[in-house]
Amino acid sequence: MQRSEFTVPNSYSYNRSNPIRWIFSHIWRYKYFFIATCACYLTAWFAHSYSRIMIGQAAEEIINPTAVDGLLKISLAILFILVVDSLAALGGSLAVETIAQRLERDSREELYISLLGKSQTFHDRQRVGDIMARATGDMQQMNFMINPGMLFIAETILGLSIPILMIATIKIDLILVPIIFVGVYIVTVRAYSRRLNPVVNNQRMAFGVMNAGLEETISGIEVVKATAQENFERQKFHRNAREFRNYFAQQGRIEAGYLPMLFYAFALGVGFLHCMVFYQNGQMTVPEIIGVMGLLGALRFPIFVSIFSFSLVQLGIASAKRILHIINAEAELDENAAGYDQQMVGEIVFEDVTFGYEDGTVLKNINLKVKAGETIAIVGQTGSGKSTLTDLINRTYDVTSGRILIDNIDVREWNLTALRSQISRIEQDVFLFSRSVAENIAFGAPDTPMEKIEQAAREAQAHNFISSFAKGYDTEVGERGVMLSGGQRQRLALARAFLSNPRILILDDSTSAIDSATEDEIQKAIRRAQQGRTTLLITHRLSQIRWADHILLLEGGEIIAGGSHEELLKTSPQYRRIFARYDVALPPVASEVPSVS
Amino acid sequence: MGFIMDGLDAEAYDRQYTDATLVKRIIGYFRPQAKRMVAISAAIFLTSIVNTALPIYISSSLDELQTNPAAVSLATITVILVLLGVLGWVFNAVRQWLSAEAIGNVTLQLREDAFDAVVKRDLSFYDTYSSGKIVSRVTSDTQAFSQVVALATDLMSQILLVVLLIGYLFLVNVQLTLITLTLSPFIIITALAFRKIARETVTRSRRVNAVVSSHIQETVSGIGIAKSFRQEQAIYNEFLDVNAQSYRVNLRTGYTFSSIFPILNLLAGFGTAALVYFGGIRSQAGELTPGEWYLFIQGLALFWFPLTSIASFWSQFQLGLAAGERVFALIDADAKVVQNDSVKLPHIKGEIRFERVNFSYNENEPVLTDFSLTIAAGETLALVGHTGSGKSSIGKLISRFYEFQSGRILIDGYDIRTLDLSAYHRQLGVVTQTPFLFDGTIMENIRYGNTSATDEEVRRVAETVGQGDWISTLPNGLETQVGERGSSLSMGQRQLVSLARVLLQNPSIIILDEATASIDPLTETLIQEGLDVVLANRTSIVIAHRLSTVKNADRIIVLREGEIIEQGTHDKLLTQGGHYAELYNTYFRHQSLEYIESAGHTLTA
Repeated sequence: MQRSEFTVPNSYSYNRSNPIRWIFSHIWRYKYFFIATCACYLTAWFAHSYSRIMIGQAAEEIINPTAVDGLLKISLAILFILVVDSLAALGGSLAVETIAQRLERDSREELYISLLGKSQTFHDRQRVGDIMARATGDMQQMNFMINPGMLFIAETILGLSIPILMIATIKIDLILVPIIFVGVYIVTVRAYSRRLNPVVNNQRMAFGVMNAGLEETISGIEVVKATAQENFERQKFHRNAREFRNYFAQQGRIEAGYLPMLFYAFALGVGFLHCMVFYQNGQMTVPEIIGVMGLLGALRFPIFVSIFSFSLVQLGIASAKRILHIINAEAELDENAAGYDQQMVGEIVFEDVTFGYEDGTVLKNINLKVKAGETIAIVGQTGSGKSTLTDLINRTYDVTSGRILIDNIDVREWNLTALRSQISRIEQDVFLFSRSVAENIAFGAPDTPMEKIEQAAREAQAHNFISSFAKGYDTEVGERGVMLSGGQRQRLALARAFLSNPRILILDDSTSAIDSATEDEIQKAIRRAQQGRTTLLITHRLSQIRWADHILLLEGGEIIAGGSHEELLKTSPQYRRIFARYDVALPPVASEVPSVS
Repeated sequence: MGFIMDGLDAEAYDRQYTDATLVKRIIGYFRPQAKRMVAISAAIFLTSIVNTALPIYISSSLDELQTNPAAVSLATITVILVLLGVLGWVFNAVRQWLSAEAIGNVTLQLREDAFDAVVKRDLSFYDTYSSGKIVSRVTSDTQAFSQVVALATDLMSQILLVVLLIGYLFLVNVQLTLITLTLSPFIIITALAFRKIARETVTRSRRVNAVVSSHIQETVSGIGIAKSFRQEQAIYNEFLDVNAQSYRVNLRTGYTFSSIFPILNLLAGFGTAALVYFGGIRSQAGELTPGEWYLFIQGLALFWFPLTSIASFWSQFQLGLAAGERVFALIDADAKVVQNDSVKLPHIKGEIRFERVNFSYNENEPVLTDFSLTIAAGETLALVGHTGSGKSSIGKLISRFYEFQSGRILIDGYDIRTLDLSAYHRQLGVVTQTPFLFDGTIMENIRYGNTSATDEEVRRVAETVGQGDWISTLPNGLETQVGERGSSLSMGQRQLVSLARVLLQNPSIIILDEATASIDPLTETLIQEGLDVVLANRTSIVIAHRLSTVKNADRIIVLREGEIIEQGTHDKLLTQGGHYAELYNTYFRHQSLEYIESAGHTLTA
């Protein structure tokens, strides 16, 4: 049984051992629709083919009338069988469509449940865009794989075999030509799609390249114009457009040479010859020839549709594979439900912590001790490991070696829920849901009284701007509602934190304030939040750095300097460089300056 | 069916065009393809003749077989039948082959024209139209337009086939032909009705799919918060609603599309049965031979497919024409920035003079009124003011990105309207507020400022900015890929690259719109150091957001509503206590050392 943080009781269970089995277990869930589809199309193709024979019988009746109403009877019979053909095809078509749509719905639901059940580690590593592509594009591809993909394959098989079977009932020898044709057809159609597919792919890619290139040129038009590179961009676009044109023309040429159609022309002629030979020997009548020619004519449709079907099915299976890959991905952390579960004090200790992904080390030999209630500012350039360092505290990731202790307990010994619920992280891009401001602040505690929400908002210096909205706390956030600035979003997240009251606060504070008044408010909110909590600040604000209890300077995953503002001014050239521009009276450099590359 | 429409508000953007000049324009594009088009027409004509002849020949052979079996040469019939089939295939192949080339060429030409037109537009054009819409005109609309041509040739061959066949059938038997034709209105009406329904359902499907996408997007983006608050069940319930709604709407769309062919087939079934009966009666009466009777039945099958395409053709054709018209409109849009000469200044010293310039983006809102300003060569000028004070407009006018309504702008004494823009832009550096990088390496992006620079020159310039410290923190140094629009670099790193780019360009005039984005203090220091290098020894116009920049400027211009109300140095203006002092307290105070130092005491309250 897979580990999961979220399950839905009594949900249908599918076979997830491989993509094809998975698809069939989805289809088999609606086995009655599946059987109905098969039955309908079988009926339709039999009726369709049989109508051709009956037209031959009608010819017989015209040439040698048997009864006064003989022709009328046959005509009505033909009408009946054609109606059956159409209705059966309609039924089959609706049934297969139902399967396709339900497959899309069900598999999306299945994916969704699995996404909710995955750990945060999984989500941190997965790009939102990738998941979106699975949930929409790949789902739709699976839908197309069923209808028309698999349907066309079924129709090709039925549409080739049933008419040939019918020809056999008229005269078994006559199937020789169509059988040979089917053989030739299979060979040529495979060769055709092998030639066509790469060109179609190249063409699609060329279009993508052209489109992306143009998009880029237009987005960067100011740079293009300012550096007088219009001609360079022009040549680039012309080159890309020509590349696309060449693939387009190439595709046209390949399609023009669709050989199965040529062989079909031969089959029709030679098939007719075969009939005529029998006719001259007195073994066949004209009406029978009409029947056979009608059946040979019926072969045209499957030859046509089969071109698309195989690639549709291939694409569908590839999509299924990608979706299944996510569903089957294992959650890495275990919840450790029996772990340490106490009120947190907030002391953090890093002991020789090293952390890396498969492709390299991110943090090296981190040693650090933070007393409860202290504020630590972490400074470093992008990629120096600032965020990763804080990610290890709430076990978004686990250390590669060394250990992290909170209140003297290894974080891996903590109950995961207890650990995370007492640590609050505010990210650089604060995420808000498309619902009201109040609901966003009280997210996770829907029954919080309004006074408490307001109180939290006041503490976070958010009350004023919220009140300035026409709908106040009921204002919708996001696309259909009001757009909030980075500073406002950050203060809403702080309000959320005030409400949940964590012991450790991790704040990735890189919001900028355009004006000094907003800056004052953000500063106040953050300072308020620091009080009585262990706080780790990844901050761009010099004032926050200046007044932190302890400052860490990170470079390439290592702590290259640490201490208070005054200490660092003495010991760290990098740190001095930051403040040098402010005409600060820099203290003399201490003799034991650490050598820094 | 109310539930299906829940939350799906309709959008209205339907337009219709008709224009004679449009046709002329289109013909103009096809003129270079004239030979191909003649050959295509011939191929269409021949294909249709052969395809008509085939069933006619089969039916007459059947009659011959019946009436005079002994005289029939099987070999001849077979050879002719196969020949007809092969010829039909060959002619069709020729048509497809040539059309692909002709259409490919026309589309290419149209795209090149559209691109060339777009890239010539001034920046006001890009302000008005979103980049996505421009892109879709150049790539997708041209595509849609060219498909019209493919559609037209395809349809032409089908119509020709129908006309030839019907003509022949009339010769054989008028009444029976009329019975065949009776079917066509039913087919056309059904096909049209289907189109209408299909359009509606497709639009609804598209909307509901967008709802599903945005729901999943939001959930996945915010899953961390949902998890830490254990709200999975609530979110799951919302998803179930959305997913169910999507299923209902898409099922309807699917049903619509699935039923059209069976229904049209049903109609054809009635036609076939009618022809079998009435044709049979006529044949029994000796009015037509069994072979001819069979021809009518075959004819019906040849007949109904083109009819359904004709029914759906017209609106598709219109959509394509509308797409074409949009592309032409793009090509024809009037240029606003017009140069009346092309003076090439070999080396600009960098003196800039505004003489009584009036400028507005649109008629009712003047931005600069009677504006005069002289900037000395080599001066560093900081522009400050509230949003809308006109400070960025000054930079944009110097860049000649926009046209001004009256007055003159002189560069080294030359009217800016007489300059060769390409040569001028090479000596003008622009650093935008959000730096734009092209997908590629950092090396390539820096070199964009001067494509002839060697690797060594690029490297040297990069190391001048911020003492080169930033390069060593990148995974592959200057060969690091920046990603789409520079997304794999931090905002600060992107600014460093754009500073290096402009430094390599080595312009005489630089226009810098200072970034407001917040950047980590180390990188910020590097950028400030980079700016010192970039702004030195050239005329610099800085739209200032940084306290350190205004402090270091030779002169600060304080703007309000398009007018210069104060100018001077930072210290002088601050003591004056005028508008600058007010701006300082609004935008710059929190960047000062006093503020940083005081934060330890006052803000903790």
